[in-house]
Amino acid sequence: MAARIIAIFDTPLDALAASGKLREAGVPRSAITLMSSEPLHDEPFESEHKKSHIGALAIVGGFIGAACAVLLTVLTSRRVDLVTGGMPIVTPWAFGIVVFELTALGAILATLGMMIYEARLARRGASDEYDKAVSEGNVVLCVRCEDPSLQETAQAALGSNVRGSD
Amino acid sequence: MLEKPPTNSKINSDLLRPVNKPGRGWYATVTVSGLVVLAAVVALSYQFARGLGVWGINRPVFWALDITNFVFWIGISHAGTLISAILRVTGAEWRRPVTRCAEAITVFALMIGALFPIIHLGRPWFFYWMVPYPNERGLWPNFRSPLAWDFFAIGTYLLGSIIYLYLPLIPDLALLRDKSRGRWQRLYRTLSLGWRGTQLQWDRLERAVRVMAVIIIPVAVSVHTIVSWDFAMTIRPMWHSTMFGPYFVAGAIFSGIAALILAMAVIRRVFHLEDYLRPVHFNNLGLLLLTMSMIWFYFTFGEYLTAWYGNEPGEMAVFRSKVSGVYSPFFWATICCCFVIPVVLLSFKRLRTIKGTTVASILVIVGMWFERFLIIVPTLAQPRFAFNWGSYKPTWVELTLTAGTFGYFVLLYSIFSRLFPIIAIWEYKEGLAIAPAQMEASDAGRAALATAD
Repeated sequence: MAARIIAIFDTPLDALAASGKLREAGVPRSAITLMSSEPLHDEPFESEHKKSHIGALAIVGGFIGAACAVLLTVLTSRRVDLVTGGMPIVTPWAFGIVVFELTALGAILATLGMMIYEARLARRGASDEYDKAVSEGNVVLCVRCEDPSLQETAQAALGSNVRGSD
Repeated sequence: MLEKPPTNSKINSDLLRPVNKPGRGWYATVTVSGLVVLAAVVALSYQFARGLGVWGINRPVFWALDITNFVFWIGISHAGTLISAILRVTGAEWRRPVTRCAEAITVFALMIGALFPIIHLGRPWFFYWMVPYPNERGLWPNFRSPLAWDFFAIGTYLLGSIIYLYLPLIPDLALLRDKSRGRWQRLYRTLSLGWRGTQLQWDRLERAVRVMAVIIIPVAVSVHTIVSWDFAMTIRPMWHSTMFGPYFVAGAIFSGIAALILAMAVIRRVFHLEDYLRPVHFNNLGLLLLTMSMIWFYFTFGEYLTAWYGNEPGEMAVFRSKVSGVYSPFFWATICCCFVIPVVLLSFKRLRTIKGTTVASILVIVGMWFERFLIIVPTLAQPRFAFNWGSYKPTWVELTLTAGTFGYFVLLYSIFSRLFPIIAIWEYKEGLAIAPAQMEASDAGRAALATAD
């Protein structure tokens, strides 16, 4: 099992500087996790987080919602054979409103689902590596070291900010 | 000289104070609103026991205060999600302490508004008959009915608004999880979904909120447009109008902003959040209210002018009853409350204070309730054939239920503010962190412009 080192910093700048040192010391970026009580916009790994499918899945969700709406309105109205006084059973203008609403609903639900999935929320052990210092406004840096030699390097780079390791 | 920004622990303690120590003001608000809700529950029980005959509705006025309340509260719901989404999409930085106050209004106003069509059924326990699911009774909803559109529009908007309120709440729920104990901690732990505040999580959260904001704006517009079509799809005088959709949406945003200002003024006072809900927020929302007042008046004038100019007998009967007949006190009160007084109060910077915007907002809310009443009752009371004309007078049951909606809204809002931070803590902190960077950027921009000159 990989060893974990947790370091706590008072300011985001200190934490970002420490993560830079870790990278220079050869710690892979996938092993470094920064936790904060607010987003750090000038964080060095920001570009790595860009690969998200939330927007794309919202569009897919919208299409699924629209398809469900068409099935619900068109197929069921025909099957039930509503009495419409000679007017058409399927009316695109009116059914279009239901289709629009369910398209939006599909997109909303897909956005929520994809956000929870991509942010790795609501799963067993989701809050591992967490330290309550985050809620006090500190920035917590967690390093997972597979290689014991890296553990020493990381501890040296983080210096006196290390609060614990296992 | 610039003020020193509050420290992290001060922000936490100030904004969590309503959750930890709500104070006497909160208890007084809950007690009073709870009593009003209790009275409404008594009235509703009486109505269930005796039937809809205890209401003042009768031929030809079959929709009255219940549908007035429905339209009014759906309109108020535009305060939150729509305004918050617009402010997020446009990157208005001053929005940060305002958004959650607004988003909570949407959820509770929608819940209350959506109750009325169900109550109006007379036997609300059979509401599920209208839900589209296969059943042995051979009943199926007519998707061509605007009332069925309402079901889908309000359902989508309510679910979307709950999610839109919930997503930015997750980091604050994690904060509460860390600061609370016992069963409350269990609740917050469950709701925070294991949030840690990693940069990946922040990125995904902000991305999802942005996507949601873009989706929710057309949904919000569609909701009140569809509510307007409940009326406009008939050929009743002064209802059958192509501009009813935008007219209703404008009125909804107008009353929504007023509700938001009023809620902010109350929260500021009850929870002593003067450092967070500042005069600049009231000033900016006051300017929005002023703009919407003028847009609302433009639509109203356009609606009434075309009716008058057409001089069609059916339309003119309703027009006259509103402008100079039995409903004229409500009509002129609406014009004064929604246009004359707010425009005066909000046009001058000296009057656009917290007190000034709050007074204007109260008047707008009262005026918009009258406006909803005026749209519904006079048209129903005077159908095209004069032999069928009637009148309407509300009973104590309807008036108590109407009062109950306001009490219920205040009660729900108070309970929400007791359980969750009413100002988004992380968004506020983020705003403080990025403000210096933005100031630097604007200084650099000004310097570049000066060099170019």
